[in-house]
Amino acid sequence: MHPLRHPRNAIFLGLIFVGIGFVYWAVPYFLGLHVDYAGVTMLCVLGIAMALMAYVLIAGSPND
Amino acid sequence: MTSNANALIPEEHGAVAGLSHDARGGISNPILGMLLFICSEVMFFSGLFAAYFTVRAAAPVWPPIVPGDRALTEAYNLHAEPWFAAGLTLILIVSSFTCQFAVWSIRRGDRTGFVRNIAVTLVLGIVFLIGQVYDYATLGFGIADGTFGTTFYTLTGFHGAHVFGGAIMLSVLLYRGLAGQFTSRHHDAVEATSLYWHFVDVVWIALFSTLYVL
Amino acid sequence: MATTTLPRAATGYRSGLYEWVTTTDHKRIGILYIVNSFIFFFLGGLLALGIRTELARPGLQLVGDAALYNQLFTMHGSVMIFLFIIPILAGFGNYVVPLQIGAPDMAFPRINALSFWMLPLGGILLFLGFVTGGAAQAGWTSYTPLSEDMPLASPGAGQDLWLMGLVLIGTSSILGAVNFLVTIFKMRAPGMTLFRMPILVWTVMVTSILVLMATPVFTSALIMLFIDRNLGGHFFNPENGGNAILWQNVFWFYSHPAVYVMVLPAMGIISEVLPVFSRKPLFGYKAFVFATAAIGALGFSVWAHHMFTTGAVYLPFFSFMTFLIAVPTGVKMFNWIFTMWRGKLSFSTPLLFALGFLTMFLIGGINGAFSAAVPVDFALHDTYWVVAHLHYVLFGGSVFGVFAGVYYWFPKMTGRMLNESLGKVHFVMMFIGFNLTFFPMHQLGLAGMPRRIADYANPAWNDLNLAATVGGFLIAASMIPFLWNVFISRRNGPIADWDPWQANTLEWATSSPPPPYNFDRLPEIRSERPLFDLRHGRTATHAVAIDAGSAPPAPAAGN
Repeated sequence: MHPLRHPRNAIFLGLIFVGIGFVYWAVPYFLGLHVDYAGVTMLCVLGIAMALMAYVLIAGSPND
Repeated sequence: MTSNANALIPEEHGAVAGLSHDARGGISNPILGMLLFICSEVMFFSGLFAAYFTVRAAAPVWPPIVPGDRALTEAYNLHAEPWFAAGLTLILIVSSFTCQFAVWSIRRGDRTGFVRNIAVTLVLGIVFLIGQVYDYATLGFGIADGTFGTTFYTLTGFHGAHVFGGAIMLSVLLYRGLAGQFTSRHHDAVEATSLYWHFVDVVWIALFSTLYVL
Repeated sequence: MATTTLPRAATGYRSGLYEWVTTTDHKRIGILYIVNSFIFFFLGGLLALGIRTELARPGLQLVGDAALYNQLFTMHGSVMIFLFIIPILAGFGNYVVPLQIGAPDMAFPRINALSFWMLPLGGILLFLGFVTGGAAQAGWTSYTPLSEDMPLASPGAGQDLWLMGLVLIGTSSILGAVNFLVTIFKMRAPGMTLFRMPILVWTVMVTSILVLMATPVFTSALIMLFIDRNLGGHFFNPENGGNAILWQNVFWFYSHPAVYVMVLPAMGIISEVLPVFSRKPLFGYKAFVFATAAIGALGFSVWAHHMFTTGAVYLPFFSFMTFLIAVPTGVKMFNWIFTMWRGKLSFSTPLLFALGFLTMFLIGGINGAFSAAVPVDFALHDTYWVVAHLHYVLFGGSVFGVFAGVYYWFPKMTGRMLNESLGKVHFVMMFIGFNLTFFPMHQLGLAGMPRRIADYANPAWNDLNLAATVGGFLIAASMIPFLWNVFISRRNGPIADWDPWQANTLEWATSSPPPPYNFDRLPEIRSERPLFDLRHGRTATHAVAIDAGSAPPAPAAGN
């Protein structure tokens, strides 16, 4: 099946952003630098919202 | 467009299985629109949470200690008295259940059950709002009381505003349900409103966990 | 047996004012968006002329004190971004997208109308500041603490009106995004798979995702600032535990994806224009789609490159991500160039503006890449280098793309052709004027001239500023042939038939202008160029009339 047709794959898009958010938290945290919690929050929530959006758009598309 | 024998048909599997469907397959337009709108609302709250985590991480101690104002410092300690807010949480969770019961009722064509469950959901929502106002009145700090007050009232206040909007939507559903406007095949507004109501509940759970527990 | 004759169903438009005010037809709403946006373009342009007049020579000539100057550049930026470029691209999307996917209208026609009417209202709120003691004057970026309600900052109502106006305009955008996404995913004609959609539809889709996700964050920032200003809040107030940089963080989390909102649909427009006027299909359709998606996704991870100099930013992460975004943009550049390569070019006005886009956006992209290098940005931040960069991508890029779209779709929208000679005069004047205005700003920035200053004391900057002012007035003058062209062509232009450009996409498969319900019948759709296929016998002539199985047209009486 074409990857763009499978709704579960759509969540992958959201996971990318959660991953970027995680990196954005982890690198400064473990390097002892200042952590930008605002950015971390917004990136992680963006991942959740993107996953939901991508899932409903793919799962909600017509069959033809 | 190639068809595929292994295609997952959304109507029969997956989380969208129950939602109202389009004649051509897929989620009906108004419900898809509501789901996307919910995504945008999630991002709205992300900005507010971002502000909260920033000021909290930068504060030397949280809840803040206000030198020379013991009453305020004690009022800030939400962890000590989370019971009322926990009660509100329970009310909202129950209301999500009754809302879903209403959806299941109308999917079955059970109009009486639908009206009853929507009415209960609406009442619980109004109780939540009244409870929230009462909580505000007895908290002991205001929106201008430091970053703690500002972030607390902004977050819970906007959540309350969303509950209020949801209550209006539920009232419309109640009215239309009593007027017999919904059937098992045509009840998009019910599905859309219930999705919104569940979203409001999820946001509250996140809020409660962040403000009262973490 | 008595028979009754029913009144005939409306098949045309009624054109009174009432019909325009109450319309829910996406074509009329699209035109309303475009006209409204042009009005704000001219207002924003007047504000820019005010800026340039003041800066033409050292000393304060036009404005009595710098506070008025601050209002000029604040309102210029705010109006151009929120009331011109974003809405006009939404307007083109509104008009063209349902036609290009073979749909009878947008998914939510009444919400569509609501989205439009929030715009003039939001614009009025913004401009009301001028008559209530001063418009917003903290820059379109409204940094705290300058935008807080404190004596030397922004104590007046103007800033609050700015906040409220933008909340309204943002809501309009978000509703529009929901509308576009549901329309694109649910209402495509049979046979039009996602990878057979025109590129403009893809760019509008990605833009709508950006709007949906990023604009609410801006709304939350605006509200937080409103609470600080009016309810005693402390979000951005360091004295009480708040954080002034927090504003910048949340603001740019929206405003960076916003710049892609401002440019992606324009890229979509020229991706429609270039293949038609090169008589060649777009090179690398799929690469283009993935590049657009990549730009959209990466656009969310670079926001703090606007904040390098605050000291609160993890510099390597954002610098790296910013350089990375140049890659998919470069892919698109090559796609456009290879579309034209060995094509049969016809240099009509739409193509001229598309070429203007390619060249000017390239310059804007390159000078942006300079700024992505942190040490370079440390020197150039808040100088005229940045002003040059943003105008090369937004004016040289998006505005040229908008004009390409105007000249391309005017025949479809009005049923008349625009005059080619006037179009070419417009292009040449605008191209020269634009470069005369903004190219010197590279030099000024490198020489250290800061932005947002009403006056300057360095005589080395005099000549370049004067040149920029002359250029600014030349841009203004170039509007004259354009407006004259629109005026005379609407009345006396040659009648346009269905497909005056021999184009590829479905909007040209119906009359100019289209009937209210868009299509009587659709060609078979087997590729991203259904009209080309039809013209060259690859698909059956005028297949199924569109009443079987597709979504019913939105209920509309006469609109």
